[in-house]
Amino acid sequence: MSDVWLYAADEESGSEMGRELARLGYKPYRAPDPSAGDEPGRRPGLAVLVGAAGEAAPLDVWQRACRRHDLTDVPVIFTVDAGGLRASQPLFEAHELLVRPFSPAELEVRVARARRGANGIEFAEVVSAGSLELNLATYQASIDGQPLDFTYMEYELLKFLMTNPNRVFPRESLLNAVWGYDYYGGARTVDVHVRRVRAKLGEKHAARLVTIRSVGYRFER
Amino acid sequence: MAITEPDHDYVMRTVRERGVRFVRLWFVDVAGLLKSFAIPVSELEEALEEGVGIDGSSLEGGARRSERDAIAYPDPRSFQVLPWRPESLVARMFCDVRLPGGEPFPADPRYALRRALERAAELGFTFQVGPEIEFFLFAANDDGSPRPLDDGAYFDLTTLDDASDFRRRTIEHLEQMSIPVKASHHEVAASQHEIDLSHTDALSMADAITTFRLAVREVARELGIFASFMPKPLQDQAGSGMHLHLSLFRDGRNAFYDAVGDGPLAETGRHFLAGVLAHAGELTAVTNGWVNSYKRLCSGFEAPRTVSWTRAGDGALVRVPSNRPGKEAAARIELRSPDPACNSYLALTLLLEAGLRGLEQELEPPPETTNGAVDGLPQLPRDLREATDLLASSELARDAFGAELRDLYVRSRRAEWEAHQAQVTEFERERLLRAL
Repeated sequence: MSDVWLYAADEESGSEMGRELARLGYKPYRAPDPSAGDEPGRRPGLAVLVGAAGEAAPLDVWQRACRRHDLTDVPVIFTVDAGGLRASQPLFEAHELLVRPFSPAELEVRVARARRGANGIEFAEVVSAGSLELNLATYQASIDGQPLDFTYMEYELLKFLMTNPNRVFPRESLLNAVWGYDYYGGARTVDVHVRRVRAKLGEKHAARLVTIRSVGYRFER
Repeated sequence: MAITEPDHDYVMRTVRERGVRFVRLWFVDVAGLLKSFAIPVSELEEALEEGVGIDGSSLEGGARRSERDAIAYPDPRSFQVLPWRPESLVARMFCDVRLPGGEPFPADPRYALRRALERAAELGFTFQVGPEIEFFLFAANDDGSPRPLDDGAYFDLTTLDDASDFRRRTIEHLEQMSIPVKASHHEVAASQHEIDLSHTDALSMADAITTFRLAVREVARELGIFASFMPKPLQDQAGSGMHLHLSLFRDGRNAFYDAVGDGPLAETGRHFLAGVLAHAGELTAVTNGWVNSYKRLCSGFEAPRTVSWTRAGDGALVRVPSNRPGKEAAARIELRSPDPACNSYLALTLLLEAGLRGLEQELEPPPETTNGAVDGLPQLPRDLREATDLLASSELARDAFGAELRDLYVRSRRAEWEAHQAQVTEFERERLLRAL
């Protein structure tokens, strides 16, 4: 799952939210502050703005970062307690509102709704197998939130296999389904790409891409 | 909004999601050297749609004359984030070079190989290549002269030596660059290494070899040493070769594999081998393109000197591994002359065309050389000038490259030879200065 940038007015409420997000499999980070000269690392998959007790969430820091780094399509969640809600502008610019206290299940639903609201990602657009995730809307693959750098055809092959799991595909079918035209390499191309994808997936997940001897390949979910 | 191809979209989206700052556009010149220029991400969309204008004469190697307009079109399917320097993400794409009118640029080696592969495809073949790449690691002495890193012997692996650390890191980088490594070990010469790549189609492999040379240099640089693919860097040590394992596949099957006979090669493989041997002289200026290449070929250490093939012995131009029943994919020929400094696009183009001629003309290979008996066998060219002269009149090279690319390559190699001839060397001074 992807990085989350946390904007917290105080340490305590920030780390509480961080723990909850980590429990759901996200990687929470303290968000960079452009006015403090912080350089952004990689692009976050989500931003969470946490207001201190009785206060509104720190929307202004986020807006500065947005303007500076073109983050307009990053989903944003605004979280406050009942007192903070009264202190907030009624029409704040965020995709979802979360009022503390909340349950982990509610957080999960709010995150999913924010992601759909921001960049149209439906649940079905993120395919996962354990900690391996493929985001079909953004073409990004990750393991435990760490991005993997596939070439386009490696990505397409993995996507096809992950969206059709636990079925055996002969090399020729994969060549037709994924490449779709006559390629210089012939069916051997499939073997080469499977080998490359496995190398990039690393030991833990490579085993999911199973060779079925003298038939083809299967992705085990 | 313009309708974009999914692979363009993939590149644009990935650049954005991953925070890539620059994209390096790569092409190679006729000598096989990588040319690279960076464009900022803001220029990428236009580059993908319309290409980027370049001076085409930069592809002409030493034969460069006047400026010539050309357009480099990045191939989105070769888009790859570079694994080194993760602090500021950079990606690369290989380019196809075209003339402003849209026709292929004749001096683009990638195009020459692409065309040869299309001809093979018309006959139903794909051309598979697996290289064994040798190179040296050096540290620089205070005066800048190179110092070999260690005296480790073959397969010598210790946990704390620079060399194995280096290989592990290199292999990680290569795997991240989609270049599957088959094996790696320490070579016979001090400080020499070999990395073998898993076989794949020739165009992907030529791109992989180009990337490999850069990746190895980058890793060495990170460790404060340097890597060299110079064919013969040290006088008394073995040089660096790049043995090429070649085979043709048809309908997913290895066409060299002899399922019924007891020979090492099926008919297709025998004809291909015969074609390569028949044109071995003309090929050499391309598989061994530098003055220094011939210092390797002429100095023993199992480097080939004659046009010959064998199943077992050392020193032959081609080794044919014995038939391994049930191991169909393993049937191949191993060409032992090329060095890792060659233009692998042009070398593979010419080798494929030579092999296909053998098939067309149903050539049979000469008898196998056994026990290293080399008497009476034809010799490979002795130096770059002799090799280049053979290439200059080669009909095979004209058909494979087109006359313009052949002549450009010949001109660039002659310029190399002339530059070498203009040098008065330490060898001459030592021998002659006081004696004459």
